[in-house]
Amino acid sequence: MPNRTYEVMYIVDPETDAERVEKLNEAVGKLIEKEGGEIVRMDDIGLRELAYPIQKKTEGHYVLFEINGSGQEIAELERRMRVNDMIIRFVTVRVDEERKTADKLRTKREARATKRASFRNAPAETTEEVPAEA
Amino acid sequence: MADQELEVLNDRVDLGVGEDVIGDRPRRYQRRRPRQVIPDYVDWKDVDFLRQFVPERGKIMPRRISGISARDQRRLAKAIKRARSMALLPFVAD
Repeated sequence: MPNRTYEVMYIVDPETDAERVEKLNEAVGKLIEKEGGEIVRMDDIGLRELAYPIQKKTEGHYVLFEINGSGQEIAELERRMRVNDMIIRFVTVRVDEERKTADKLRTKREARATKRASFRNAPAETTEEVPAEA
Repeated sequence: MADQELEVLNDRVDLGVGEDVIGDRPRRYQRRRPRQVIPDYVDWKDVDFLRQFVPERGKIMPRRISGISARDQRRLAKAIKRARSMALLPFVAD
């Protein structure tokens, strides 16, 4: 079973009360766990101004989930979000691959840095050793 | 935002502006270096960072202005587009 990491963000209608938003988030969490996913992070960002109006609304309640899973739970979650009236916008981004390439880049850069440092230090060490022997 | 654009313009003068004659009209060119480091992972949720590459009008800053590498520009553009879809950044601002 493939293990992938997704970020799911959705905007809830700002007029829904906090209680219902919380319930919705809980329901999302439950659904993911039921479908075999694992919640890495759940972040209720809260009310935020929209950069442009969506459904004549100028702000929205943002919620972010980070999920480990196979992709099946994402399909189910998206299907349900689409029919939910409270959710005015959602997006899923697969992040594991981009993070992996970022890690690779970092390790590569670090390796280069250490190599460069060793080159810089090596001649200095030998010159110090020579007078010590003499 | 306006200040940032002005800074870009001033910086251009500092680096020196040259002219190349291609065709019958002289073409202005200048080499630019990036003013900011692009992290290995460009987070589409980091609006404050992305805003540096979205001038007032809401368009994505071209590479010839920002001076970042082609790969970084691709990653950045993708992140900006993702942020736009979630109304974190505007498609057009006026």
